[in-house]
Amino acid sequence: MATAPTNIALRYTQRRVLLLSLFPLGLLFVITVTLARTYHVREAELARQWLQQGNADMAAAQPAKALEDFRNALSYDPVNNLIQLRLAEALLADGRLPEANSYLLNLWDRTPGSGEINLDLAHVAARTGDEDQAIRYFREAIFGSWETAPAQQREKTRLELCNFLLDHNRLDDARRELAGLAAEIPPEEGALHDLTGRLFLKAGDSARAFTEFEAALRSNPNQSQWLDDAGGAAYDLGDYQKAETYLAQANRENHSVPTQQMLETVRALLRADPYLSGLSDEEQMRRSWLAFEQGLVRLRTCTESVGKQPTTDSPSELQVLAKNAEDLKGRVNLQSLSKQPEMRNDAMRLVFRIEAETSSVCGAPSGADQALLRIGKKHEGSDR
Amino acid sequence: MSEQADFKREMLTPVPVVGPESPAIKEKIRRWPTIWPKTLTLSEGNLFLLLAVIIGMFSGLAVVCFRITIEWIRLGLLGSSLAPPAIRTLLAPAGAGLVVAFLVHRFFPGARGSGVNQTKATVYVFDGYVPFRTVIGKFLTCALAIGSGQSLGPEDPSLQMGAGIASLLGRRLKLSRDKLRLLAPVGAAAGLAAAFNAPISAVLFVIEEIIGTWSAGALGAIVLAAVSSTVVMRWFLGSEPLFRVPQYTLAHPAELLAYAVLGVVGGLLSLAFIKIIAYFRPRLRALPGWTQYLQPAVAGLLIGLIGLRLPQTMGAGYSYVDQALHNQYAWEMLAILGFAKILTTSLSFVSSTPGGMFAPTLFIGATIGGAVGALEHHFFPQLSASVGPFALVGIGTFFAGFLRVPITSVFMVVETTGNYSIVLPVMISNAIAYLISRKYQDVALFDLLARQDDLELPSMEEQREQVALRVEDAMRKPLSPPLQAGDTLALALEISDSFQEDLLLVRFQTGRWAGILKEDLHKLAAEHPPDTLLREILPTNRLPVLHPDQRLDDALRLIPGHDLLPVVSRAGPRKLEGVLSLPDILDAYHRAT
Repeated sequence: MATAPTNIALRYTQRRVLLLSLFPLGLLFVITVTLARTYHVREAELARQWLQQGNADMAAAQPAKALEDFRNALSYDPVNNLIQLRLAEALLADGRLPEANSYLLNLWDRTPGSGEINLDLAHVAARTGDEDQAIRYFREAIFGSWETAPAQQREKTRLELCNFLLDHNRLDDARRELAGLAAEIPPEEGALHDLTGRLFLKAGDSARAFTEFEAALRSNPNQSQWLDDAGGAAYDLGDYQKAETYLAQANRENHSVPTQQMLETVRALLRADPYLSGLSDEEQMRRSWLAFEQGLVRLRTCTESVGKQPTTDSPSELQVLAKNAEDLKGRVNLQSLSKQPEMRNDAMRLVFRIEAETSSVCGAPSGADQALLRIGKKHEGSDR
Repeated sequence: MSEQADFKREMLTPVPVVGPESPAIKEKIRRWPTIWPKTLTLSEGNLFLLLAVIIGMFSGLAVVCFRITIEWIRLGLLGSSLAPPAIRTLLAPAGAGLVVAFLVHRFFPGARGSGVNQTKATVYVFDGYVPFRTVIGKFLTCALAIGSGQSLGPEDPSLQMGAGIASLLGRRLKLSRDKLRLLAPVGAAAGLAAAFNAPISAVLFVIEEIIGTWSAGALGAIVLAAVSSTVVMRWFLGSEPLFRVPQYTLAHPAELLAYAVLGVVGGLLSLAFIKIIAYFRPRLRALPGWTQYLQPAVAGLLIGLIGLRLPQTMGAGYSYVDQALHNQYAWEMLAILGFAKILTTSLSFVSSTPGGMFAPTLFIGATIGGAVGALEHHFFPQLSASVGPFALVGIGTFFAGFLRVPITSVFMVVETTGNYSIVLPVMISNAIAYLISRKYQDVALFDLLARQDDLELPSMEEQREQVALRVEDAMRKPLSPPLQAGDTLALALEISDSFQEDLLLVRFQTGRWAGILKEDLHKLAAEHPPDTLLREILPTNRLPVLHPDQRLDDALRLIPGHDLLPVVSRAGPRKLEGVLSLPDILDAYHRAT
C-alpha cells in the first residue's frame, strides 16, 4: 500500500523536529550544568560558613545561637551527617533533649557504629534518666568508630562510663569497666593510671587502685599527688610500711597538712602494731602491753561519757567489754605476756573489740586509738 | 510496514554499476532527503514514547533551573539565614509582589494561579495549547514570588511548565489535536515528578486530577516522561528523598486510633482552609482592576509582618517540614506554625500571586500532624511513640483533605520520605480526612477554583463517583425461548407461533447466536420443506453478544443494525441471561436520569 505523500512529509518533519530538538536540549543542559555547579559551590560555601559560625558559638558556650547556625548550615547541606551531629549536640547543650534525640536516632539509623553518635545518645539517655539505655550507648561508643584520635576517645568514653556507673552506684559494673580501661592504658600515661586508681578507690577496690597508682609512679616517681594517692591506697590496704614510704616521699616533694597528718597516723600505727613482722619477742610483748593499757583507758573514758547520756542498748555491750577487761586485767601483765603468747592474742583481741565498739558508740578515735582501730581492722580482716 | 519493506528491499538490492556515476546511486542521492527519515524505523506509538522521554528531559532541566533560580532569588532578597533580617523580611515579599503583579498583568496573564487548573484547561479547553510565553512567565513570576518569601511552592508551577514544554514540542511536531491534548498531561507529570522528586506520585496525581482515567495510551508516555525528568533532576540535585525521617514501626495496633484522630483534625482543618480560599478569592478578584496590581504586594507585606515573628511561614518551607519531622518544636509552636501557614498561604493565593499549593500543604500537614501527635503523646503516651511519625502522616492527611487526591496522598508520603513502614497510619488518616472534606465541601478545591474562573472543567472526583449503567440494568427476560440451530423449520414455526415475540433468537452449538423475524421464518417455511434444519437456511451473519456486567455505553455502540441482542453468561456463551434492544437501553438511561 503506497503511503500518502502528505503523511510522508509529516513524518519527515516530525523526525527532523525531533532530531533538531536535541540542540535546544543540549543548550538547556549546558545552562543547567552551569547554573547547578555555581549554585552547588555557593551552597557548599554557605554550609561551611554556617558550620564554622556554629562551632564558634558552641565554643563560646552559646548553644541557642549555635543551633540556629547549624540549622542554616543544614538547609544548604541537608544530608551532611556532621552538621546534623553538631546540631544535635547544640540541641543537647541547650537542654532540648527530645529534639536532639530525634536527630541522633536518625543519624544512628545511618551509622550505628559511630562512636560520637552513640556517645551523644548516651548523654541524652543519661539526662533523661534511662540508665540501661545510657550504658548501652556508652558501650557502643567505646567499641564504635571514631574519626579522630580513636584511642583517646575510647579512653575518655570509658572513663565517662565509669563515672556514670559510680554515680549510679553500679559498683560491680564500674569495676569491670575500670579493669578493661586499666588493661589498655599505656605505661607512660601516668595521669590516666592515677585517675583510674582514684576511680577504683571510689568503686571500693583499693588493691587495684594501689596497682594503678604504682603504675602511675613508674612513669614519674616524684609526682607528689600520685605519691600521696599511692600512700593513701596502701594505708587503706593496711600496708603501712609502703604507706609510710609513699607518704613520706609525698610530703618531701610537696608538704601538705593532710599528708602530714596521715603520715603521722601511719607512723603511730607502725609504732603500735605488735604483729608487725621482724619485731623481737620483747618488742611484741611491750607493744601488746601498751595497747592493752591504751584500750582500757579508751573503754573507761567512753563508758564514763556514755554513762552521762544513757541509752538503752550500747552500755550493755560496753559493760560486757568492761567485764571481760576486768577478768583479763588480773591475768595480763608483762610477765604473763612474755611467757604466754596466747595471752597476747587474747589481750589484743579484746583491745580490737574495745576500739571497734567505742568508735561506734563514742565517735571516731584519734591518735593511738585510731592506730589500734586500724591495726584491729587489718588483723581481724586477715584472721577472717 | 510495506513502506519499510520497500525501503529495505531497495537498500539490499545489488547495484549493477558501481561508482558515483552509477544511475542507481545518483537516484539514491537525489532521493536521500526523503529516504533518511525512514531510516528511523519508528512507528507512531514509538515516536510518541520517544517524545515523552524528550519532554521529560526538557522538563527535568527546566525544573532544576527553576528551583535553583528560586534559591538564588531567596539568597539575593532574604539572605542566607533561615531567619532573615527584619527589613528584608518586610520589604522582599512586598516588593516582589509588586513586580510579579506587574509582570502577570502586563506580560504573562497565563501565569496566574497554581498551574493545576491551567493545565486541565489546556487539555479540555485549549486542545493542548499552552503559549510558550506562559512557560517563561510562570518561571519568572513564580521564582520571584517564592524566592521572595511568598507562602507558595514550586510544584504546581513546575507541572504547568512541563505541560507548556510538551505543548511546544507537540506543536513543532505538528501532532494531531488528540495527541497534543494527550501531551499536556505527559509534560505535567514530568514537571511535577521533577519538582517533587516523586515520579509515582506525579503519575498518580496527573491520572487522578487531570486526565481522570487509566488510559493505556497515555500511561506509558506519562510514566516515561516522569521517570526521565526525575532522573535528570536527581542528576543535578541529588537522589535524596524530599524529607529525611527516622524509621517508624507500628508498636501496637492501638496506635492507629491516635492516627484516626489526626485524620479527623486534618480533615476539619483542610476543610477550613478550602473555605477560606473559596470565600476570599472571588471577593478579591471582584475588586477594581488597579487593586490587582497591589494585592500581591499587600499580601507580601502582611506575610512579612507574620514572618518577623515566624520566619518559618515564608516561602515553600521544606527546611521547617524537616524540622517538624525531627521533633524540633513543642506542640504549641507546631500548632501556631500550622495556623500561621494557613493564613500566609491564603494571603498569597487569594491575592492571585502565582505559585503552587503543594509545598504549603505539606508544611501545614506536618505542623498540624506534629501538634496533634505531641498532644496525644502528652495525654495518652501509650498511643503514640513520638511526634515525628505524626508530622509525617499529617503531610498526607492534609494533602488528602485539601487537594482531594486520596491515592496520590498515600504514595506521596511514602515517596517523599522513602519510608514505607508508615503506610498503614497514612491510609487510615488520609481516608478519614478525605471523607470529612468531601462530606462538608461538595466541590473539590481545583473544581471550585475553576468555577470561580468561569471554567467548566471536568471534575475528576465527580467522574470517579458516577455510577456507570450496565447491561444488567437495561436487559429484560426474553418473551420466547431461543430456537436451536438444529431445530427443524416445522418445530421453529410451532414455537414461534406460541409466543408474541416478533424476533426470535437462534442458538448454535458453538455458542454463536443469530436472529430471525417471525415473518422471515414463515417465508422460509414456504420455500423449504418442513424438516429442513434452521442452520441450513439461516443467513451466515451472527449477532454480537453482550454480558450482564458490560457497560451500557458498550451495548449502545454494538446495537445499531440489530433489533435485539442476546445477553449471555460469561460462564457459558450458550446460556441466555436476557435480551437487550435499543428501546431497553434508552429506557434505562431515562430511568437513571
